[in-house]
Amino acid sequence: MSQILPVVHILSKVLMLFSAAFLLPLAISLGLADGAYRVYDEAIVATFVSGVVLWLFSRRGKRELQTRDGFLLVVMIWAILPLYSAIPLLAYLPDLSFTDAYFEAVSGLTATGATVLSGLDSLPPSINVWRTEMHWIGGMGVIVLVVAVLPMLGVGGRQLFKAETPTPMKDSKLTPRMAETAKGLWLVYAIITVFCILALWAGGMSWVDALVHAFSVMSLGGMSSHDASLGYFDSATLEIIVMVFALIAGISFSTHFMAFRMRNLQAYRFDTEIRWTFGVLGASILGLTAYLLYKGFYLDFPEALRFASFHTISVALTLGFSTTDYNAWPFFAPLFMLFLSSFIAGSGSTGGGIKMLRAVLLYKQVYRELIKLVHPSAAVHTKLGAQSVPNKITYAVLAFLFIYVASIITLSFILAASGLDVFTAFTAVVAMVNNTGPGLGQVGPTSTYAVLTDFQIWVCSFAMLLGRLEFFTLLVVLTPVFWRK
Amino acid sequence: MQRLAPILHVLGLVILIFSFTMLAPLLTALFAQDAAQFAFDESFAVTLIAGFALWLVGRRWRRELKVRDGFLLVLLVWTGLPAFATLPFLIYAPQMGFTDAYFETISALTTTGATVMSGLDALPPSLNLWRHLLNWLGGMGIIVLAVAILPLLGVGGRQLLKAELPGPIKDSKLTPRIADTAKLLWAMYAALTALCVLALKWAGMSWFDAVCHAFAALSLGGFSTHDSSVGYFDSPLIEAVLIVFMLLAALNFVTHFLAFRQRSLAAYRHDPEVRGVLGLVLASCLGISLYVWQAGVYPEFLTALRYVSFNLVSIATDCGFASTDFNSWPMFAPMWMLFLSCVTASSGSTGGGLKMIRAVLMVRQGVRELEHQLHPAARLPVKIGGHAVPNQIVFAIQAFVMMYIATVVTMTLVLLASGLDFISAFSAVIACINNAGPGLNEVGPGTNYAGLSDFQTWALAFTMLLGRLELFTVFVLFTRAFWRG
Repeated sequence: MSQILPVVHILSKVLMLFSAAFLLPLAISLGLADGAYRVYDEAIVATFVSGVVLWLFSRRGKRELQTRDGFLLVVMIWAILPLYSAIPLLAYLPDLSFTDAYFEAVSGLTATGATVLSGLDSLPPSINVWRTEMHWIGGMGVIVLVVAVLPMLGVGGRQLFKAETPTPMKDSKLTPRMAETAKGLWLVYAIITVFCILALWAGGMSWVDALVHAFSVMSLGGMSSHDASLGYFDSATLEIIVMVFALIAGISFSTHFMAFRMRNLQAYRFDTEIRWTFGVLGASILGLTAYLLYKGFYLDFPEALRFASFHTISVALTLGFSTTDYNAWPFFAPLFMLFLSSFIAGSGSTGGGIKMLRAVLLYKQVYRELIKLVHPSAAVHTKLGAQSVPNKITYAVLAFLFIYVASIITLSFILAASGLDVFTAFTAVVAMVNNTGPGLGQVGPTSTYAVLTDFQIWVCSFAMLLGRLEFFTLLVVLTPVFWRK
Repeated sequence: MQRLAPILHVLGLVILIFSFTMLAPLLTALFAQDAAQFAFDESFAVTLIAGFALWLVGRRWRRELKVRDGFLLVLLVWTGLPAFATLPFLIYAPQMGFTDAYFETISALTTTGATVMSGLDALPPSLNLWRHLLNWLGGMGIIVLAVAILPLLGVGGRQLLKAELPGPIKDSKLTPRIADTAKLLWAMYAALTALCVLALKWAGMSWFDAVCHAFAALSLGGFSTHDSSVGYFDSPLIEAVLIVFMLLAALNFVTHFLAFRQRSLAAYRHDPEVRGVLGLVLASCLGISLYVWQAGVYPEFLTALRYVSFNLVSIATDCGFASTDFNSWPMFAPMWMLFLSCVTASSGSTGGGLKMIRAVLMVRQGVRELEHQLHPAARLPVKIGGHAVPNQIVFAIQAFVMMYIATVVTMTLVLLASGLDFISAFSAVIACINNAGPGLNEVGPGTNYAGLSDFQTWALAFTMLLGRLELFTVFVLFTRAFWRG
């Protein structure tokens, strides 16, 4: 118990703070008189009161947090905030089961974008704002998580990125400089979001739609206020705006922060990932365009290019917007996009998957092993940029990849055993673990996750958390060793 | 030329020896008075002359082979022999085409067992014998490859197995003790095959069928003389005999050899893989039988157990016999069997895939990384059978497993792009890279690989080769470092 109390203490503060998040949909609800304002009242009260109760209850256990507490704290925050986030949904939609509401909230806060709701267009605007605000808040959480918290916990070779954070950090204590790092990154995130809102509004969206979609894009979440997603607007201008901001969100926010602070673009040149991300995306877009034309699915080049580029960027960066039912494309195309989604996003971005940096490291490591076969006694170093990567980190990254693949296989089997067809099961798991959103088959871009059984929904919720918390964080807490003294 | 000639010299010798194996089907043809006799006459002559010519040409550059030459030699042997092995098929049935014939012989020599031929029951016995003999010879090749050559080349952490060999092996030269080791293991292999022939005959097969199926079972090839494979006999006794011998063939032949020499079963207890193989197979048999029975495919549990255990053992050990169309079982069952085929076979066996030892190591390494998260400073060795495994080998194995996964993903995408459906493409790649045989759907146990396009057939032939030569042996030839200096 003494182990949990200090963690609960922090959690209680987070809850109190989180209750303020409901003010935005409340204000919008009151402003537009959409009739849903009551549910936010309830949510604010419930969240704040539980925060206070927990705070009082855990006050005596207060102490400095250790690394080990960090794992528990991260897991608890990400598993418990969705409970409170689900309140407005449950209160406004009495037909929604708890399972589905929790799924929707987890999907929101992990910036996945998978939904069980349909008839989005007729929902009160404030509910839609809340759904995507969860994305946005989740995005803030992810940025701190991947830039400040996980490197400190040493998850999956994240130590590598310590060097990239603006200031040096101590290894043993959790709190010291995290707050400062976080503030800087959030400022950048917020500023870019404001630009995105303005751009979408200028591109022809209403204020509310612009707000909703900017939240969604910047966090690479993917929920929308329309059942037809971005296809509702059918506007090439809006698609281009979304693509640009999705690409920005797919780059590490520490790089943005550096560029912002130094007031020049140098920082982008030094970021190894950008070149790879843009290179692979560019080649894939051209390839898929050619493929769709060759298969005769689209007849003219501009049309094929428009659809291929939008969906490749949207799915690969784990956003998940769609403008057409790409499930109907020849299977290679959507599967390839799903494949890209597992590694394209940058390591300090709001996107999911294994991240470009790990993929590059993997590639270099395999190449190194090949060279070693030819020259068994040569000492070959893995290099990233100009820096050589210590073996320990390469190790951790490889173990991370193994856990990633093993998780996908295991979860696919669980879904398949529960009666889902293999194709749907596999694509759903990949979409969940990468926090992309839509899968293929029964959970494709034009349908929702509502077709799944309760058990399958819970498995999917777990998969989203697993992916977002980079596997180790969640799995460590589930091992008996963790709870031993 | 100076680099290649000594290798060609050895290759010539191998082809020369190989030509004599054609005498067995030739004698069969003479004895059975079947229609394929002329095919073997000519094939024998062509192969003999080609081998002799190569040997003669290369003789002037004769020298001791280096480790590096080993990669090229192994690849040339495994691509060259199938080319000559196609001759009897091409001469007897020219309409078959080189693509299909080459696929069939690659499949035979890599002991995959995927076939493009139907109407097997009506084929001349000599041709059927040839297919099965190729299986058996392939198995011999694999034993040497796995126990003597790959460890020497250091492919994918194979060094690990060096310790298990009966005698010490020098690191720089290829030939010295390979021959000795090989002879002992081949004797073991031949003895087990003879036992299998007798057991099958006793169980009710004709002598011819017994020989053919024994060849296919011990090499874990999986060819049959009947279109409906082992289902043709519909005999629980035959199935039981085959299960036993398939499991024996899936264990390390070095362990068999040690047990034989020491006249005790202690060797099996000390083998770190045996427990994994048998435990996994047994648990899966029971689990999947229950699952299939619950799903109502078979009315009685025992019937389910009979069909599941035969087909599951056959796929898991990478043999590939079928006694029923397991494609029609609920998808989870065949997918699980394919998954088993990736990990079940032991490292010194004739089976394919990642091998049990690598799977065990990967799991241990994953657990170690989890513990590392909690105790970052602790030194935790990965242990196999009581010995700590050097980090360098763990590294090599991780790289191998990643390469394996990357290859499966890439080849699946290639097949998808060429127009195959997802399940067929994915299962065909898994079945071919593991050298198991039948996949699912269009390449399932109820059908064969004849329905694929030429391009797809070549892609899968390449995949079988990749799997058999443990990826790195092939990929290393694509690096610049290999050809330099």
